[in-house]
Amino acid sequence: MAGIRALGAGLKELRIHMCQKSPSSQGARDFMESFYVPLKQRNPELPILVRECSEIEPRLWARYGYGAETSVPLSNMNKESIMQKINEFASGPRMR
Amino acid sequence: MFHPGGVHGARHIAQSLHHVKNAIRGTCSSKLLMQQKAAAAVAVESKKGTVTPPPTGPAPTAPAAPNSVEVYIDDKMVMVEPGTTVLQAAALAGVEIPRFCYHDRLSIAGNCRMCLVEVEKSVKPVASCAMPVMKGMRVKTNSPMTRKAREGVMEFLLMNHPLDCPICDQGGECDLQDQSMMFGSDRSRFTDIKFDGKRAVEDKNIGPLIKTIMNRCIHCTRCIRFGSEVAGVDDLGTTGRGNEMQVGTYVEKLFASELSGNVIDLCPVGALTSKPYAFTYRPWELRKHESVDVMDGLGSAILVNSRGGEIIRILPRVHEGINEEWISDKTRFVYDGLKRQRLTQPMLKNSQGLLEPVDWEDALSGIAARINRVPGQEMAALVGGLCDVEALTALKDLMNRLGCETLCTEESFPMNAAGTDLRSNYLLNTKITGVEEADLVLLIGTNIRFEAPVLNARIRKAYLHNNLRIASIGERVDLRYETDFLGDSVHVLAQLADGDHKYSEILSKAKKPMIIVGSSSLQHGDGTAVLANAIVLADSLRSKMSSNGDESDWKVLNVLHRHANQVGALDLGYKAGPSAIKQMQPKVLFMMGADDGVVQRRDLAGDAFVIYQGHHGDKGAEMADAVLPGAAYTEKYATYVNTEGRAQRGNVAVTPPGMAREDWKILRALSEFVRGSSVLPYDSLDEVRKRLAEIAPHLTRYGQVEDANYFRQSKDLVWNAARPGHSGQTLPAQQRELEDFYMTNTISRASRTMAKCVTAARHQKSTRYGL
Repeated sequence: MAGIRALGAGLKELRIHMCQKSPSSQGARDFMESFYVPLKQRNPELPILVRECSEIEPRLWARYGYGAETSVPLSNMNKESIMQKINEFASGPRMR
Repeated sequence: MFHPGGVHGARHIAQSLHHVKNAIRGTCSSKLLMQQKAAAAVAVESKKGTVTPPPTGPAPTAPAAPNSVEVYIDDKMVMVEPGTTVLQAAALAGVEIPRFCYHDRLSIAGNCRMCLVEVEKSVKPVASCAMPVMKGMRVKTNSPMTRKAREGVMEFLLMNHPLDCPICDQGGECDLQDQSMMFGSDRSRFTDIKFDGKRAVEDKNIGPLIKTIMNRCIHCTRCIRFGSEVAGVDDLGTTGRGNEMQVGTYVEKLFASELSGNVIDLCPVGALTSKPYAFTYRPWELRKHESVDVMDGLGSAILVNSRGGEIIRILPRVHEGINEEWISDKTRFVYDGLKRQRLTQPMLKNSQGLLEPVDWEDALSGIAARINRVPGQEMAALVGGLCDVEALTALKDLMNRLGCETLCTEESFPMNAAGTDLRSNYLLNTKITGVEEADLVLLIGTNIRFEAPVLNARIRKAYLHNNLRIASIGERVDLRYETDFLGDSVHVLAQLADGDHKYSEILSKAKKPMIIVGSSSLQHGDGTAVLANAIVLADSLRSKMSSNGDESDWKVLNVLHRHANQVGALDLGYKAGPSAIKQMQPKVLFMMGADDGVVQRRDLAGDAFVIYQGHHGDKGAEMADAVLPGAAYTEKYATYVNTEGRAQRGNVAVTPPGMAREDWKILRALSEFVRGSSVLPYDSLDEVRKRLAEIAPHLTRYGQVEDANYFRQSKDLVWNAARPGHSGQTLPAQQRELEDFYMTNTISRASRTMAKCVTAARHQKSTRYGL
């Protein structure tokens, strides 16, 4: 699968927030179905915290060393672009 | 003859009674919740500040069920299901009928006669709690005949009830007192012409928690029915008959139940009262604070009663989703532990190596000086199970900002495969109420009776009323109901996961199976294998269910945590288990409420600096170089996430003692002293909670359980890696017997009452009557 790689040590934690049902989180749910398992297998030590909560805006959070955090909403994105966002985040906080 | 509540026939009797109750309750499940909400407005039985929901039934406004019958209560028509009792129908009509023996969650006894009402065309008054309604029945709850009947019953009760209300602890919350005012006569014909006094009954000694004054007993038998039906302990019963009848244990023995304190709330008079609360305050003198319990992973709803900055007692609140109206004895009686062994001042080690009280500024700057010398990679944090989410957030943010990534919980959880990425991996996914829908429960490595007493009571209820079948793997323990014992090691579980065990067929036939993995079984070497096999087994049961066309999305896999906020810590991204700390041998260790002793000095670098923040002087503070006094659960606004994943708020009942402060505030203050740009970006509770939502939004959805999914992903990750091996040793129950139940955390270890309970339980074992 394209784009799934080891994400590097700069990234300390990924958090994916999504709703269990709403259409705007569909991409995030698709991402979980197709990309989560291979991504986790490539990055077994990286916490990818999937936190489901009803009626929220889906959002991707990345935490780097020394508590630096960045985030981006995932509303209505498809799974490929979510994967792409993760890869962007993996290359560092300033790359956005 | 001694008549225990029902030793052999309990299940039988309960089932037949259940037919009556079923009609009223729906099927003692989700329907119950709805109905109770509707009925809640109708009538309220108030006792000791708690609100007992009234008898349930279909809401009066709801469209009548096709087979419902009409009943006239004081000429007001209500439509009820057939089988409803007159008392419950009256509650729907907004009429509260006085009662002593009837209780909504117990079987119907019908022996106090206080609920007599007149029914048209009936010669005699009828006991409304036991009389099912009939079509077109006309009930008069306030007729001269009804009033006369009540006054007569009350007169008989008072004839043998001591008039010691001024020194009775039940005063002010006594059903007999209230109802004699409301429904009794204004005078008595009782004159003690022979001066031989009222009926006298010897007081019973049934343990260090419950004080008995048996003269006051009116023989309602609620305590007996509670023991045999809810707690599953047939210690209480009656001896003698007529005027000679006594409620008690026959031989002097402990009421050996972890739920025994509930009989204090159930007793409608002052016969059973709380020993630690005896002769302290009247209920109207107490301030009441709604809060959340932290003694186990369930997060029972409690009402903390305080007076003058001191906690006087703890009572249950009704929460249908968690504790119904019961709480465990540890929850109820642990509060005296909050007044002992407390850390009240910040302390630092002086040059002689002794902890010395200092003021906050010196403590924080002293700690910061040590922290600033160490790079973040050589620091670690360890948190215990009583820490609240706000404090955990502040600690994680602070340590992360210092460059530290090693934040661990004391309690272990397998971090391989999906680990704590997916909440469904570590939650009680079917929720506590799921027990009532389930038809098979598989308990793995848990003595659920002591790890979650209230949940065990619910399993027992389903065992009695729903024919729930229970199987267990792990050390054999007495759960007060029958279980199919499958084996004591993970080996059996692996066979079940592969589908080649003789029980596999029974499991796969279950329509709603629940697998409950006790977190205590995940603490040792085989823990990884336990969870992995449980995940695989749950997944195969789920796929079987969906291939059978079941679309209910029943979750199967459940993890039962023992600590109040372990789930909260995992939600925030704490690593479970101290192994990472032991590997890295940190130079600075920040311990917050970590008192189980899983990390010792020898696990750290030689000159390691240990900071302990918490509320009790216990194992953690013992090994610390700096001590920061924090607040206990009754002293702070705090969020706890229970084992279902339900975020709940605790409230302040009293202020922290001495110089102790709310935990997140201490960390916020410390962040001002440490190096770099580590100042935490929140100044108020609201801002901290905003931050919670950034980390995990469900943490501020108070009272709700957010569904967690992706079982398949978790299983794929477990399955794709080699399935972890196991040693096949017995899965030990950490709390085997009653004496192990009482002291499990810093607060209960400091409690004198809990110590007395341990002594009593041990003594009981040494007597002829055993446990």
